Amino acid sequence: MIGRLTRQRLEARSAASTAVIVCGALLLIASATSVARGAIARDAARARWAELEAERAVAGAKLSTGGTRWSDARGTPVARMTIPRLGLDEVVVEGVGDDELRAGPGHMIGSVLPGDSGTSVISAHRDRHFHALGGIAMGDTVVTESMRGRVVWTVSRIRVVRAEDSALNARPTPTLMLTTCWPIRYVGPAPDRLIVEAVPK
Amino acid sequence: MHNLGRAALAAMMIVGAGTASAQITTVVAPPPRKNEPAQQAAAQQRERVVQDSVARVTMTGMKEWVDSASAALAVRPDTVPTTADTALGTPRTATAPAPKSDSSASARTSERPSEFRDGSRAPNTATPIPAIGLAGVLMILMGVAMKRRERTARARVRR
Repeated sequence: MIGRLTRQRLEARSAASTAVIVCGALLLIASATSVARGAIARDAARARWAELEAERAVAGAKLSTGGTRWSDARGTPVARMTIPRLGLDEVVVEGVGDDELRAGPGHMIGSVLPGDSGTSVISAHRDRHFHALGGIAMGDTVVTESMRGRVVWTVSRIRVVRAEDSALNARPTPTLMLTTCWPIRYVGPAPDRLIVEAVPK
Repeated sequence: MHNLGRAALAAMMIVGAGTASAQITTVVAPPPRKNEPAQQAAAQQRERVVQDSVARVTMTGMKEWVDSASAALAVRPDTVPTTADTALGTPRTATAPAPKSDSSASARTSERPSEFRDGSRAPNTATPIPAIGLAGVLMILMGVAMKRRERTARARVRR
């Protein structure tokens, strides 16, 4: 009788441990799938950007002087951004929705393109495209390239704000704002936002 | 006496005529005539047409409102760059938005909460993916540990 009870308990334990492993594997697969989809979307955005650059080269004109048909539809590449010191090199897509941020840093709709007069906002996930942004420092150089041309920026302000703070202000002069979640290494939805401001060099 | 009777009769006639007149004016309404099926169908059709035109007017108004709102924002980049742009770009002005044939795009734009405005919040870049991945790894580790304990217990039972 005791042996049968023990066997039943062991069977139950075995089933429970199997269930826990299966659930864990499913969560891991879901996470990996999301990352993989992001990688595919990122590659697609880079390929599209390369096409745009090729079109521009064929047209033999500057980015801003026509030849290339730029689109402002969501998810299409609108700029390329590099931070040489951090080794960050990303193609920026239009919009900051889930799909766009999966593909790359997103240009916030309603803000100007980098190089125009006003505030240009570019946001990305801290665990993907802007992971290196945790190491940004005052005076770092940021380079953007868009239909408005190539602009070299200098980081002029770094701040951390609460997620619900109204921290993005419109400026009359060209200003680049890079935002991501803060802390960079944080499990779960991060409570704060890192905002890096840069002005043209 | 006879005169009195005549006078009373005359008074009754006058009063009675007044009452009768009042009854005639108040009891007027004849029963409503029933419409023929064809007439009813025509009336329904007229009503539907009126409703349709009302709805069309409302939708047109909404479209104009959305278009004017998107034009007032004037923050989207031109889809086709002009030759007047310089290398660093001409500032996009509020008076010259790119004409958009796709009105659904502007409507969609106005719906989105994550548009830039003066004093807006930073976009929500928080993602649960790392937490989900970590939870998955922890659950797998926990399951493996449970399996090991179970094996040890089985071995003890056999002995």
